[in-house]
Amino acid sequence: MKVIIIGAGVVGHTIAKRLSSEAQDVVIIEKDAKRIKEISESLDVKLIHGSGSNPKVLMDAGVEHSDIVIAVTDSDEVNMIACLIAGSQSRVPKKIARIREPDYASYTQIFEKDYLDLDFNINPEKAAAERIMRIIEVPGALDVVEFADASVKLVGIKLTPTCGAVGQKLKDLKELHPDHRVIIVAIYRGSDTIIPNGGTVLEAGDLVFAVTVPAEIPNLIKLLGRKEETGNKIMLVGGGDIGFYLAQWLEKRGFSVKVIERNEARALFLADKLTKAIVLRGDGTDQNLLMEENVMDIDTFIAVTNDEEANILSSLLAKRLGASRCISLIDKPEYLSMVSTIGIDVGVSPRLASVSGILQFVRKGKILTVTQLMEERVEAIETVAMETAEIVSRPLKEIKFPQGALIGAVVRENGDVIIPEGETQIQPGDKVIIFTLANTVSKIEKMLMVKPEYF
Amino acid sequence: MRVKVILYLLGAFCIFLGLSMLFPAALAFAYRETETAAIPIFLSAILTLGIGGALFLAFRGQRVEISHREGFAITAMTWMTAGLFGALPYLFSGALPHFADAYFESMSGFTTTGASVFTSVENLPHGILFWRSLTHWIGGMGIILLSIAILPLLGVGGMQLYKAEATGVGVSSDKLAPRLIEVVKLFGLVYILITVAGIIALIWAGMGPFDAVIHAFGTVATGGFSNKNISVEYYHSPLIEFILIVFMFIAATNFALHANILRSGPKIYWRNPEFRFYLGLQLLAIILVAINLRFSIYDSITSSIRYASFQVVSINTCTGFSSIDFAKWPSFSQLILVVLMLIGGSTGSTTGAIKCLRIMILLKQGYKELRHLIHPHAIMPIRLGRRTVPPEVVTGAIGFTFLYIVIFTLASLMMAFMGLDIVSAISSVATTMGGVGPGLGIVGPLSNYSEIPYIGKWLLILCMLLGRLEIYTLLILFTPIFWKG
Repeated sequence: MKVIIIGAGVVGHTIAKRLSSEAQDVVIIEKDAKRIKEISESLDVKLIHGSGSNPKVLMDAGVEHSDIVIAVTDSDEVNMIACLIAGSQSRVPKKIARIREPDYASYTQIFEKDYLDLDFNINPEKAAAERIMRIIEVPGALDVVEFADASVKLVGIKLTPTCGAVGQKLKDLKELHPDHRVIIVAIYRGSDTIIPNGGTVLEAGDLVFAVTVPAEIPNLIKLLGRKEETGNKIMLVGGGDIGFYLAQWLEKRGFSVKVIERNEARALFLADKLTKAIVLRGDGTDQNLLMEENVMDIDTFIAVTNDEEANILSSLLAKRLGASRCISLIDKPEYLSMVSTIGIDVGVSPRLASVSGILQFVRKGKILTVTQLMEERVEAIETVAMETAEIVSRPLKEIKFPQGALIGAVVRENGDVIIPEGETQIQPGDKVIIFTLANTVSKIEKMLMVKPEYF
Repeated sequence: MRVKVILYLLGAFCIFLGLSMLFPAALAFAYRETETAAIPIFLSAILTLGIGGALFLAFRGQRVEISHREGFAITAMTWMTAGLFGALPYLFSGALPHFADAYFESMSGFTTTGASVFTSVENLPHGILFWRSLTHWIGGMGIILLSIAILPLLGVGGMQLYKAEATGVGVSSDKLAPRLIEVVKLFGLVYILITVAGIIALIWAGMGPFDAVIHAFGTVATGGFSNKNISVEYYHSPLIEFILIVFMFIAATNFALHANILRSGPKIYWRNPEFRFYLGLQLLAIILVAINLRFSIYDSITSSIRYASFQVVSINTCTGFSSIDFAKWPSFSQLILVVLMLIGGSTGSTTGAIKCLRIMILLKQGYKELRHLIHPHAIMPIRLGRRTVPPEVVTGAIGFTFLYIVIFTLASLMMAFMGLDIVSAISSVATTMGGVGPGLGIVGPLSNYSEIPYIGKWLLILCMLLGRLEIYTLLILFTPIFWKG
């Protein structure tokens, strides 16, 4: 498969790295010569110097033989024009553009066949805001990932010492609550990552990942013992695009929202557009302001300014002043890996959000999505069970699954979600969501009869 | 300031005024009141037309584009001129021999106040009565036209408020039509339609055609001149009172809403925050007054509600009809009426006083100050419906209301200095500034303004003009800066 990536920023670079490591042919078009030199030293890809919206450059990149064009420069307009021109030069099967400006998103017809003919457009800010929304919706959750069109949810919750489930074996928990459609698929304990079995004992401080259906989330919270009542008090620092998306959504969902914004003109804009939220002009790292606005009663503190250091600082400050949970916008991969060490509950990266969005789309084939959890040590693979696969048409308990892997959910073709038990049988055509340690992935792929080449 | 342009435009206005006097003159001929009304009114018309025509011809050929400064001067002087020539029929017919009385009656008509110096109106000729009510009708129309044409020049208060709310269903279009003249025509049409509907409804309810026209003019202009000494009480008809309540309420609603009904349907009323406030305020006042009346002077709940609703609507819309002598009501109800006099109806209508929209903005500003104590860093714009009110409009509303209260206080003090009792002094100023008409005490609904000393009458004339021109337009003429470079 041949992929053309236009724009070698962080997103372009990350996608190129992932795809080239999966043995795809990647061509990068970048107009900054210095950046080209940097990348040529680290990646095994073809590099072309020039503008992605230039027809000649696109021809040079071999657009007529390419399978995918991914336009991820900083400019929405360049991305759109590049896809338009690529489409005019050859029938590129898939075109993806990053488009940030929210106003474009409200006129979706321009993305359709007669105009830009985009197969997929991603807005990193919106993707990040959506991830934060999913987390806010589940009180106490530190991460929420959706599978199979949101019919299956993976929720990460940290166990407190007062939690009733602490000290119990998983199979005992299952016997206590036989009706609950919940399965624990991964546990993050200190620096260890565990794919649990029935005998695993839960400990205080564990970050537990559990799969469930949306309707069972209240039971899940009860089970894992977080006593968040309603959790509807939100403080939001930074009223940029992400903050504004979030504030509007939170208002609509009936959350009580306070927005802190430093820029006066932007604060006035927010105050004008938001009807219920309280808009405060000030700095998220101003302790007096946070105290004045009762940060100790806040259920979720969200820092989404453009300044990631300030986001980290204000989140830590809020946490120390008593906010129950904090979410920070962090884009630097170095910082992201430090998040849990320094005490921030959730770090959200718009760039990574768009990378995983694009990769999920690129990989659409037999394996529907691959999601990395816990700093890439666990992978969640969403796939369609093939008739010839080993796992099909017999009870799960009879299948010899490799250590460090388990099935989290099965989605039937009619949309029914099954949280699997020993007697469950997978049928051909079912979507299966498998959780596995990164080093077990190849064994799983063999079982699924899916070749590493996904297309 | 180009005096010639001003005189030219005033001349044009006088021609219009003179022509309009021909209607009552003709009516007087028809009623065979040749001596008492027809000839004096005809003479007034000739004199007005003559002076107007002379000014018009002498100063024609001017560039008519006026600066906003000239706009203020023309507006204020047009009203004063209207008062002057409008007084002629009263003087020439001998109905009011004293100039101050005649000017008071004329100005009360044009400003749609409805305060009268006649001790009895029932023996006046039809021609004079019709002229009196016609001044209401012309004045009411003038307000609508002027509020569109002149007030935008001010940039403060009234018009910006009006602009923000008139079309205000979240759409950002500022005007009902692209050209101002189209807007004016639309408003004129609405005004005429409401008047015709009012006349038909009143005749249907059993009024004579002449009475119906007089009361329809008084209602649509929110004026309040009646041709009966005891006003609407004369008819003893709940049906007539009900019809008048409906039309008074319509007349004090923002005309832009009426004009928009064709385009947006009736839901436009409910979506307008000022309309909801205006309706809510009147319902609350009716309930309070009705309860107070039921437990003090009336034994039945129906008559309490009947009189309370008529009087509350009549006073709050600044019309000033009375269906009962409310000067005999308990002080709680009277005080509510005085408060309603100060508040008035909606912006963009013929009503007077401070107006609901400004009161809303002030209340919201007050609440905002309270909230600011709890959230000192919060940015809390004042919102009307889905719109945010620009800060300069809020300041404008505060400034206007403050000036209104200051003038109200000073004028009340002066009235008291002239020997009026406290209730009469305060209510006479509140009622003339608000364009209501009857007050309390010696200027109550069954009394009149003939007892007020002449100097007091001039003061009240000034109050009517200040209230009608929303203070700034008149007050600006008295500032030195207006006349300098």
